[in-house]
Amino acid sequence: MNRRPRITPARLCGFLGLPVVVLAVAALRATTEGNLQAIWAGPGADDITSVLVYFSWLPRLVVALIAGAGLALAGVLMQQTLRNPLASPTTLGVATGAQALLLVATLFAPGLLIYGRGLIAFIGGALAVALVFALAWRRGLAPTVLVLAGLVVNLYLGAVSLALILFNQESLHGLMIWGAGSLAQQNWSDVVHLAPCLVIVALGAGILSRSLALLDLDEVNARNLGVSMLWLRTVSLGLAVFVTASIVSRLGLIGFIGLASPAIVRLAGARTLKARLIWSPLFGALLLTLTDLALQLIAGRNAALIPTGATTAALGAPLLLWLVPRLSMNARSPNTNAPPPIPRRNAPWRLIGFAVVATLVMIIIALFAGRDAHGWNAPFALPWAETGHWRAPRVLAAGMAGMLLALAGTLIQRVSGNPMASPEVLGVSAGTGMGLLALIWFVPGAGTLALLGAGTGGALTTLVVLIAINARSGFEPEQLLLTGIAVMFAFDAIQRIVLAGNDPRTQSMLAWVSGSTYFVDMHTAIVISSVGLVLVALAWPLGRWLDVLPLGELVSRALGLHVTVSRVVLLGLVAVLTAAATLIVGPLSFVGLLAPHLARLSGLARARPHMAGAMVFGALLMIAADWVGRQVIFPNEIPAGLVATLIGGSYFMWRLRRL
Amino acid sequence: MTYAPVAGLCRRGPGIVALVGLVLALFGLAAQASAASRDTTDDASPPTPRLATLDWGIAQNLVAMGVSPIAVGQTAGYATWVADPPLPKGTCNLGNRAQPNLELLDQLDPDRILITRFYAPAGPRLKQIAPVTSVDTYGQPGDVWTNTVDAVKRLGQIAHRSAAAQALIARVESDVRKAADQLPSSTKPLLVLQFSGPQHVRVYGQGSLIQATMQRMGLTSAWQGETTPWGFSYVPISRLAEIKTGQMVVVGPIPVGIAEQIKNSRVWQSLPIVKDAPVLYIPQVWSFGGLPSATRFARLISHALREAPASGPGWPVKAAGA
Repeated sequence: MNRRPRITPARLCGFLGLPVVVLAVAALRATTEGNLQAIWAGPGADDITSVLVYFSWLPRLVVALIAGAGLALAGVLMQQTLRNPLASPTTLGVATGAQALLLVATLFAPGLLIYGRGLIAFIGGALAVALVFALAWRRGLAPTVLVLAGLVVNLYLGAVSLALILFNQESLHGLMIWGAGSLAQQNWSDVVHLAPCLVIVALGAGILSRSLALLDLDEVNARNLGVSMLWLRTVSLGLAVFVTASIVSRLGLIGFIGLASPAIVRLAGARTLKARLIWSPLFGALLLTLTDLALQLIAGRNAALIPTGATTAALGAPLLLWLVPRLSMNARSPNTNAPPPIPRRNAPWRLIGFAVVATLVMIIIALFAGRDAHGWNAPFALPWAETGHWRAPRVLAAGMAGMLLALAGTLIQRVSGNPMASPEVLGVSAGTGMGLLALIWFVPGAGTLALLGAGTGGALTTLVVLIAINARSGFEPEQLLLTGIAVMFAFDAIQRIVLAGNDPRTQSMLAWVSGSTYFVDMHTAIVISSVGLVLVALAWPLGRWLDVLPLGELVSRALGLHVTVSRVVLLGLVAVLTAAATLIVGPLSFVGLLAPHLARLSGLARARPHMAGAMVFGALLMIAADWVGRQVIFPNEIPAGLVATLIGGSYFMWRLRRL
Repeated sequence: MTYAPVAGLCRRGPGIVALVGLVLALFGLAAQASAASRDTTDDASPPTPRLATLDWGIAQNLVAMGVSPIAVGQTAGYATWVADPPLPKGTCNLGNRAQPNLELLDQLDPDRILITRFYAPAGPRLKQIAPVTSVDTYGQPGDVWTNTVDAVKRLGQIAHRSAAAQALIARVESDVRKAADQLPSSTKPLLVLQFSGPQHVRVYGQGSLIQATMQRMGLTSAWQGETTPWGFSYVPISRLAEIKTGQMVVVGPIPVGIAEQIKNSRVWQSLPIVKDAPVLYIPQVWSFGGLPSATRFARLISHALREAPASGPGWPVKAAGA
């Protein structure tokens, strides 16, 4: 590269520092309502203005700096240890663990909240990470396995949380503000708790930095230099998790900073780990503080809450999108993301045959068995005419959506060679979700047709963004996934903001977003199924590309494959498959991630058996999930997407442990 | 539709024998019931239709005018959050309000399903079971009191109980007036809020049923801030500093653990409104669409103000016997 970077990390921080000071003064003026004399009264004064200055404005400023620095530091440690630029402080499940345990405690053991939300959240986060570590322990905490385990635990606990929120919205609305990350303060207790955590972790990172820098070499070389990988990973991740859990448990979920700060300072020229360890926390602190101050001033007279954590992520997403094409060029480090090898099965089609039979059995159960007002009815007891027209479209839609998502997942995982890849991660589901959400929000009362239109619009817009950003790099997979993650960030953040606002519209929103076959009628099911079958027929002949592409760009080219063209075709297919499925089951079913992995873990290695196996598993999983979700807490219905994540996630964790 | 409207269908009763019996009974009843429903339509005075509703506000209004909805969404939540008036025994639980159980609803065979526009996404599916009517109080022009009263009148027409609806409106208005008569001679402006967490509160203001009720009682609101279309503002506790005089009313339930945090909050303890008058507490009031909530709020606030301790800042005093 011959372009000398004009931006340096120091200049970048200086550039942010100035507005931080200006806005901090502005926020102080707003707090004192121009009565700056109150400041000189000192913290002992009883007057409300000086109390606000010393117990609200000042601790909030300090806590924003600490949280920003802590999360950015955790991000550097995570990305360095896991060798993955997509890793963030919450990759290993800290935040979702904290949230899940808080929700469970609030609903089922509110007495525990006497010990403080912070403690319960911290324990929840720690338990989730302990689970992730346990799953990856046998493989020596290998980065790929850790990332996969973290992803599954995140999805699993996320699904548990969403199911709880779905049915207990009123009881949990206070927690939704925590879930969106608010920095509001009314004494110094958060600062007093968090400052020592930050100091401990900063010292630890300083001590580890030399060993961690060796990870920039590949694993074998690092080990030869006398580094115990297991020890190094445990300590480094432990530090990152500790600081993240402390911050999240006190302030709530603050996304984006931990992912973006390390990435941005690296882009600005902090190439070495040491430079990143210094500049990233500084930049993170300034970035979070700047956002928080700006939001405080904007919020001013506003009736609705503008939570800092989620808003930072929502505003940060476009910044991340802008960064993406610039980022990946610099991120050339040894790729240890290749999935661990699985023994290949000798008779793949026999396994697939068994799965097909299981699916047929499941379809029969789903169509003919179920609960009604009297409890369980015996199969075939109720005439088909009574229940058939309710059940048939749902079974068809669930099966089809599972199939399409699984196929999309197989394609994207084979194209990208990244085990974190899934159609959801590509951002198309999130785009569809945002389209739906916008319509529900701004046009309450819109019908199903309008929702379908809005969903398709969202998917197409995301697709255009994906293409615009990635065209120049020839759809380089890593970069594509980063783009998708930025879109997902925005969607997740917007959802959290909406939930924190807690008004009557959220119920409808949750219903759509959580991935249910509820709204599908027979007509829609048939239309989408026909489209889906055409797409499957289009994908089938591409099996050879999918066998060749995972071998890498050079090999693929040598075998006569036009890499960019094949990527564009396959990704286009992935996008359309995802959009079609998302319209049925919403953006949150992670069948597209789980089913291809399940197929691969069962030893289906070559492209066509892999595709076929994933599709059958996907369909089976979704049909079973849809049926179980409708029965388990009858008359309430747990959306199929959530149940699929729970069933698939459990199985996935079990397989992962035996890997 | 070929289903039987079966009385008492909604009951929790496990036991395979009972199930089989009931399923058989269902077939038997199918023929009878369809005949029965034909009989009743010939009557001169229209019978009360079998109504199902997803919305708690609508359910509140129906029950208060003496119409028992056959099914309501999330009945357990209704008991916790709405409470007044209680749903009649045997009201069927339809499950999640945004996604009521379709097979169950179909089996119950309602004559009409009542929703608000916020449940509209489920509309097309519900229409396959019975006609769907949206009765809205929020998200449209006009003040909230008039809209709520209009909703009650509309529900009266739908349930063929217009007289009962008028009686309900009159009763609520007189109850509110009675509660107002019992207020202490002088009251400060009230800041009515609900805790959302240790740092945030939901303040009821312009456009909320609570403020509309306060106006009718001659009480003034201390909150002049902007509100959402549902009549509340979400604010951090520090924003309450701008209110220099008045009395705070905390609406329950207060989340566990908040009291401890509030005690350690310098900001809370220094708020002028907290220092100005004792903080009052009243139990939960559902403020979305149900006219009976106005009576409930009026009764509770009047009681709390009468029983208020003479002075002393601090944490909410639970009003006894509320």
